[in-house]
Order: sequence, then structure tokens, then C-alpha cells
Amino acid sequence: MNDEINEERLDRWIREVAQGYHRPPETPRDEMWRAIRRQRRRRNGVSFRPTVRWLTWSVGVAAVLAVGIGIGYAFSRGNGSAPPVATTPADQPSADLAGSTASQPSLALTVVANQHMAQAETFLLLFRSAVEEGLDAPMTPGTARELLATNRLLSDSPVGRDPKYRDLLQDLELVLAQISRLDQTTLPDEKTLITDGIKQRAVLTRLQTVVPAGTTTPALNMGVL
Amino acid sequence: MPNTAIGNELAMDDRTLVAGVLAGNPDAERRMYDTHVDRVFRLAYRLTGDEELAREFTQDAFVRAFDRLATFRGEAKLSTWLCSVATSVVFNGLRKIKRIRSRQVELDMVTVADERRTAEPDLKERLQAAIDDLPQGYRAVFLMHDVEGYTHEEIAEAMGIQPGTSKAQLSRARAKLRVALAAFAGGVAS
Repeated sequence: MNDEINEERLDRWIREVAQGYHRPPETPRDEMWRAIRRQRRRRNGVSFRPTVRWLTWSVGVAAVLAVGIGIGYAFSRGNGSAPPVATTPADQPSADLAGSTASQPSLALTVVANQHMAQAETFLLLFRSAVEEGLDAPMTPGTARELLATNRLLSDSPVGRDPKYRDLLQDLELVLAQISRLDQTTLPDEKTLITDGIKQRAVLTRLQTVVPAGTTTPALNMGVL
Repeated sequence: MPNTAIGNELAMDDRTLVAGVLAGNPDAERRMYDTHVDRVFRLAYRLTGDEELAREFTQDAFVRAFDRLATFRGEAKLSTWLCSVATSVVFNGLRKIKRIRSRQVELDMVTVADERRTAEPDLKERLQAAIDDLPQGYRAVFLMHDVEGYTHEEIAEAMGIQPGTSKAQLSRARAKLRVALAAFAGGVAS
């Protein structure tokens, strides 16, 4: 009888003292909620920060392209041989929208092309790295589509007829088109196939060869990346 | 005696909340989180004794719960279902980490209910060590029942065991703690 009473008292005492065992601090609810939202976005293939980063980048691409084409166009007007923007090479084989000859892109377009190549290189490096690490690529297919649009503009410009850029732009178009079609249902193997294609065609090596040292992306200039 | 009306109301509230979350309502998500996060975090902290781990496990538990919410059938309370997700995350996490914690109980954090009986520091340390030494299942049942106030039914649901097993494990856990603290028992029991 006494033993039972003693056991009960001891158990009660243990329960009381055990309240201090790993006593939880205040729940950091807002901090954890933010982390949960980030994790869920990542798992769903949507990431806020990278989206902002790549959106800024895309705006940079568009801005550089517009400035480059504008400069090229101004040059062409200054040379007195300004064809309308819609003129096709077949209509006017000696000049184009950027004031370049069919075989010789203007300096402005070359700068734009180099910027584009540098951005594409960074994009593909990040993509490859994410695939290798089995992560959801932070760059959205939307970013690939932005780059693809720029790529097509350049392909249709004298840059696209320049042997130095032509084949690379074509291979780049293929890769960017593949990435732009990725979605949540894409299997890891399909992403690996894309990175294998990048490797087989030596796209990154050729990009690094084409891009002059010191070329920076607009995003880098803005300190975003 | 359970109050059936209140029970039904709670079940209905759970169903409404779950339906809102599944429909993609962000307010419902936040409400579900706010309603249950304290309980999940407390349990994670009790079982790990580490704030970083407790945060990580709590976050993982909610991410997993949101992902798998469609599998919640409403047979148990949402809080119990969340608790089962959380214990699974914590146990798996601890298994991966594979390290035994030997943190000291922060004496200034310990508040004994009865202020007149203040345990000696070495006694608390001994109790801490004794709880740490309990098998994982016993320790979880002891902490959930005697420290966090879960019922045996909730523990059974959360850990995938029978309520009778929970009771038996609690009994064995208490017995082990009594043995471990036998040297100090005289002053308490008398």
C-alpha cells in the first residue's frame, strides 16, 4: 500500500520535473510559415526569388536588345542607306535593320549577340547544375522562352548569317526550346537528356569561345545575379 | 464522457478547413497552420531538444501534410493526423541524424509546478539523462502523455500503435525512470 503511494508520488514528481525536459521556446510561427511557403513553391517548381531574378534578367535582355537594335538602326540611317525595318534580305540584300551588310553584322548587333550568348551561357550553366544536383531548376521555362525570343530575333538578323554565330544560334534555339517546354510533369531523365544534348553539341564550350572575355550580362551589371 | 456535439463541430470544422486548403484557399492554409503549429512545434522540440531541428521538422511536417492532405479521410481529428505526420518526420529525421543528444537541461527554464519542492540540479540532470536513455518509443509515449498531455488514443493514432500498447509503454517508461531515480526517491516519496 505504502509502496503504491510512494510510486504515485514519485511519478507525480517525475512528471513535474519532466516539464522542464526540452522545454520548447516560443513557436517561431511566422518564420516557419515563410520557410514552408518557400519549400512548397520550390517543390511546385515555382520560386519567388529566382523568378524575380530571371524576370529582371529578361528585362535586361530586352533592354539591351532594344538599345542595340536602336543603335544599329541609327547607324544605318546615318549612312544614308536606311531600309525599312520590315525589309527582308531578299528585298534588300545589301543592308538590314541594324545597318549591317548581309555578311557583316554591325558592331551594335555584335555587342547584343555577345550579351545574349553570355546570358545563355549563364542560364545553361545554372540549368545543368540544377539538373545534376537533382533540384528543381530555379529558372523557369518562361526565362528560356524569353531567351528563345531573343535568339530568334538574332537568328533573323545579320548575326544569324554570320558563320561565327549561325550554327551556335541554331543549337541554342533547340536547347532553349526544349527547356521552355519543361513543366511539373517532366521527369528527371528528360532534363538529363537536355543536358546530354548540351554536352554532345558542346554548346557551353562554343558559347564560351564566342563570348569575348569580360562580357557581362545586364543582370550582372545590375548586381542581381 | 465525450461531448458529441462539440466533437461533431470540431470534425465539421476540420472538414471545412481541409476542403478550403484542397481548393487552394491561402487563408485556409494559413488557418490550418496557425491552429496546429504550436502543438507540432512543441512535440518536435520535446523529441529533439534542438530548436533548429524542431523548426526543420515542423516545416517538413507541414509541407508533407499540405502535399498529402487529400489522403486525410477525416476518421481521426486533423490535429491527430498532423501529429502522426510530425512524429513520422521527427523519427525519420532523428534516425538519419543518428546522434544522441546530451544537452544539459537549462535549469533556469525548468519550472516545477510546486514551488516549495525545488529539485536539485543534479537530480534534474539525472532525470534528463534517464529520459534520454529511454527507448525511442517509450520516450515518445512518456513525453506525449505525461508532459504534453496527449491521450493514449491520440498517441496510438500518431504512432500507429494500439492504445493498449501506448499504455503499456508508458507504464514501462515510468518504471524505468523510477529505477533510474531510485537513489533520489527517498526524499520525494517520504
